[in-house]
Amino acid sequence: METTNLKSITRLWPGQLVRFVPYIASGVILILLPSFLPSYMQSMMTKILIFAIFAMSLDLIMGYTGLISLGHAAYFGVGGYTVGALMVHYDINMLWISAPVGILMAALIAAVFGLIALRVTGFYFIFVTMALGQLLFSIAFKWEWLSTMDVEAIVGIPRPDIGLPWFTWSSISFYYFVFLAFVVCFFLLNRLVNSPFGYALQGIRDSEPRMRVLGYNTWLYRYIAFVVAGVFAGVAGVLFAYHNSIVVPTHLSIITSALVMFMVILGGTGTLYGPVIGAAVIIPLEFYAGIVTPERWPLILGSAFVLSIMYARAGIGVYLSRLWNRVAYRYGSVKG
Amino acid sequence: MEFIVLSMLNGLSYGLILFLLAAGISLIYGVMGILNLAHGALYMVGAYVGWSIAVQNGLNFWLAVLMGGLAAGLLGLVMERVFFRRLYKQLNEQVLLTFGFIYILTNLSIWIWGAQFRASFTAPILAGSFHVGGLTYPIARITVIFIGLIIAVGLWWLQDKTRVGAIVRAGMDNKEMTMSLGINLGLVSTAVFFLGAFIAGFAGVIGAQLMGVSPTLSVDILLLSMVVLVIGGLGSVQGVLLGGILIGGTDAFGKALFPELAMFFIYLAMIIVLAVRPRGLLGRR
Repeated sequence: METTNLKSITRLWPGQLVRFVPYIASGVILILLPSFLPSYMQSMMTKILIFAIFAMSLDLIMGYTGLISLGHAAYFGVGGYTVGALMVHYDINMLWISAPVGILMAALIAAVFGLIALRVTGFYFIFVTMALGQLLFSIAFKWEWLSTMDVEAIVGIPRPDIGLPWFTWSSISFYYFVFLAFVVCFFLLNRLVNSPFGYALQGIRDSEPRMRVLGYNTWLYRYIAFVVAGVFAGVAGVLFAYHNSIVVPTHLSIITSALVMFMVILGGTGTLYGPVIGAAVIIPLEFYAGIVTPERWPLILGSAFVLSIMYARAGIGVYLSRLWNRVAYRYGSVKG
Repeated sequence: MEFIVLSMLNGLSYGLILFLLAAGISLIYGVMGILNLAHGALYMVGAYVGWSIAVQNGLNFWLAVLMGGLAAGLLGLVMERVFFRRLYKQLNEQVLLTFGFIYILTNLSIWIWGAQFRASFTAPILAGSFHVGGLTYPIARITVIFIGLIIAVGLWWLQDKTRVGAIVRAGMDNKEMTMSLGINLGLVSTAVFFLGAFIAGFAGVIGAQLMGVSPTLSVDILLLSMVVLVIGGLGSVQGVLLGGILIGGTDAFGKALFPELAMFFIYLAMIIVLAVRPRGLLGRR
């Protein structure tokens, strides 16, 4: 290690670059591919990216902090419902107003729920987060203010007005808008988990008492992580409301929470690319099952839960990354 | 006065059903470190099996109760032997796996028994009412209260006074140590899982005659029993019983006084307990 010569540095470089190949390749695919696809596929890819943001936000608390939340859809749904309510009741559809307000509401709810749920950890934490999520679900279900046209849902949310009179949305331009949001979220979350703060979270996940002894205020770290995760879930919820044009109480409920949790675990917990891969697997599956056999979708989904836990517990993303490391290692050493 | 007594009895019968469910979850978690979210789904399966025996086929109610319990118990046995064995202490995976079972069991139940709500029924054996003083109260509900209390006492006795209970409690505190003492904890775990699942299915049938059955029950009743566990605290039968009775009572009085807001009182109770005693009113550790 002491004797650094030029040769070893040049040998290192391809290996360093190779690390970025998967990111560059998926970036290229995500940018170029949608232009060649029919619009329903563009819309599906939009949904994948939205749920990827949502799943990454859950992974921040689940994979990096060790807090298993079964109520994470609460913040997603609050973001969506806020956008819907602003549109229906105040006629506000300006992106620069409705998106920040939606995200802020999600953050507020997360800040309040975090105070309640973080009284406990582990087993109880699962219960409390689930109960709080279901509380919002029943409010959305019963409160007429959050319903339109006699159904328990807010329907007819248009794509946002961005303040340029000549601009109209198409499914491809909306896709690129969501893609931009996704890239920003990925970048921010990546910076966060690789910061001293992120390392502290991982330390808390692995051994909370040790971190406490080291002088960390572990409660505060968990709380901040919880609220930040709520913010990113809110971003996903806002985008989803624009995309889906309907928000229903189920978007707040444990059904959605469990679905997004499945994405995280299927892709690989404790990584940021894992949840993205999870979303990219589940959303198309849901789409095609919805066409072929909508009434058996829960059965298929449930079986997928069970099978993936029994046979692919580490997560698809982790397998793929191991595979890639092997390829990259061989490539790097041959190239040497 | 009459109103208060009747609401208390309603709350007690409902609370005892929640207790039966929550006690199973608590027992299984305690012994095996497994969080079985599908417990509510087992309750629902038991309720449907009992419903089709007692109502569809008009057979004996106690047969229905027994078969509902057995159906849930056997399902639980399969779940334990095939799947949970390999997931000790992996909470992430357990949550997802058991949630997968909720989806599967709920969807299969819709397939077999239909998605519509099946109304509550009264078994012919339990028809009629008690008349005490000026009060009348249905025998069916009184029976639920009796059965619930008997099982509560039985579970308490089993857990606190018998050798099996001592093993169970030892397993809760330190699994490895208990096994190294030469105790076949695997066998005890399987038995406990079967017992917990059996009680869930059993509770499903006696609960169905008070509240009916529907496919949404698997999540709804799970949620309530989780609130019971948060309030009562895991690990002791007494804690879960107290939680069940408190939630049943809150629900009964809430429904009688403010029908629209009954649901929210339960959450309020949970939040207050979390603020005051995060480990539950009578929680171990």
